Amino acid sequence: MTFYRSLLVSIIALLLGLAVLNFVTSSTLLSLFTQAIIYAVFALGIGVLLKQNGMVSFGHALYFGSAGYLLGIMLQLQWASAEALIFYTLFIITLVGLLFGLIIVRVPGVAFGMLTLAIGQMFYLTASRARGFTGGADGMNIDWPSTLFGFSVSQILKPSVIFMISWTTLIVVIFLVSCLLRSRFGAITEAVRDNEERARFIGISTLLPRAAIYSLSALISGVAGVLSALNTGFVSPENLHWSLSGMTLMMVVVGGFKVLWGPALGAVVYFMFKDILGDYATHWMTIFGVVLIAVIVFSPTGIAGAIVGWMSGKPSVGNKPAQGH
Amino acid sequence: MTEYVLQTEDVAIHYGGVKAVDGVDLTLSKGQIRGLIGPNGSGKSTVIDAITGRRMLTRGRVVLRGEDVSEMGVVDRRKRGLSRSFQRTSIFGQMLVGKQVELASHKMGVEDSYADTKAVLEELDLWKFAQVEAQDLGYGEQRRLDLALALVGRPSVLLLDEPMAGLSVKESLDLAQHLKQLTSSWDVSVLLVEHDMDVVFSISDVVTVFELGRVISSGEPTKVRSDPRVREAYLGSTA
Repeated sequence: MTFYRSLLVSIIALLLGLAVLNFVTSSTLLSLFTQAIIYAVFALGIGVLLKQNGMVSFGHALYFGSAGYLLGIMLQLQWASAEALIFYTLFIITLVGLLFGLIIVRVPGVAFGMLTLAIGQMFYLTASRARGFTGGADGMNIDWPSTLFGFSVSQILKPSVIFMISWTTLIVVIFLVSCLLRSRFGAITEAVRDNEERARFIGISTLLPRAAIYSLSALISGVAGVLSALNTGFVSPENLHWSLSGMTLMMVVVGGFKVLWGPALGAVVYFMFKDILGDYATHWMTIFGVVLIAVIVFSPTGIAGAIVGWMSGKPSVGNKPAQGH
Repeated sequence: MTEYVLQTEDVAIHYGGVKAVDGVDLTLSKGQIRGLIGPNGSGKSTVIDAITGRRMLTRGRVVLRGEDVSEMGVVDRRKRGLSRSFQRTSIFGQMLVGKQVELASHKMGVEDSYADTKAVLEELDLWKFAQVEAQDLGYGEQRRLDLALALVGRPSVLLLDEPMAGLSVKESLDLAQHLKQLTSSWDVSVLLVEHDMDVVFSISDVVTVFELGRVISSGEPTKVRSDPRVREAYLGSTA
């Protein structure tokens, strides 16, 4: 997709968000949409890692939850304005992601997944026990100031406004990431993912691009964490728990990760299931599990992959028959 | 005195007590094709790995156009004009053909990477697939793409590890023809590891035979073919 086509699609998507506001007046439904969109951003973070590095993380809740904690603690300490602290938080998350990335992306396959799990759980336990700093298992409230970016926080927290903020963030993040992945950097990361040895032989340093993608995925997860902190005004150790990473990974698998909007679609599907089925079935996750299995078996590239395949008249993306030998 | 573009001097690669390659001296003149043959496990591919820097030398040195490159990494050797293809097709499956060749060209520091890409792909009859994902190509075309990735930046030495593996007879002959043309039109010298004896003996200027990590015979194809040691060790009575 060219730059201008992406831009056009993004603008249409933004207008679609405004259209939703015209049709949906229920605050409960808007809150559900907002939650789904925040998790869509988080899923996009995990999806980018899977798409560009071919790596599965079970510990990205680390960046989602840490963003909330970092922001909450710094707001309590009143180090700077809330606006500045949001940027500091995202900067720190990106830096930490890069540092961890430089170490752990060297490890292939299952071991990488286990490392992400271990690091994530390490932070979860720390947050659970550092009661003085984090409020321990009870979590902590985020002390937002009365205004943010010149707007009243009470206005921002209106269901329609926070919905539009989250939706805009999702669209902007997808647009920016798509621009980045279309650049030479994107081609380099694709090359490293597809064939690391050949990439080395054409002069590509293979560690830094993978670490950079890991860091980018941490940043996107951090953005979702900040949005969540804004939306709920609360952060708890559950935001760091591996089960949250696992749940978001399910969204990525269901939605598909070959296209950037796949994980976001997965998050929407997940929350629709949760809300609609949750009204009728206590164990709605069992039904979602069946859907997950069906998607993996019949469309390994997720719902988005199936849609793209259907639209292009080709087999589902990344699910083509093996060639030659 | 002959000027060699590539020389290996007493190259050895040992794994503990196993001597995968032991004391190999090879030379490659400008525009020459040297075929390397030998039974499986005789050390041919290991020699290529040693020359490209994929494996550390236990002993000896590799000289590229007069410069000792033994201590250099694969990237530095590649940038100095030493390129290779792999035994198994080594391409970027999910990338467009043109995009990956252009990326390789850019990373090699070629100023006009588009022109380089076009020239390489046209040379190998792949330009029409520039906008196709590599995984959608046929096997023969993927092998040529592998060769294209090795050819960007106009290397002076090309090390080819079984480039005809898995190709049909016609595809093998076409590729062999291409290789022969490349040595003159692209001014490139080729070290060719190949099991297809007909190809090796038809396009090589010189042939070197390996057995158990050592060179047992080397010279013009007709001379090597008639060498009793080679017939006994490798070619057998059918040669």
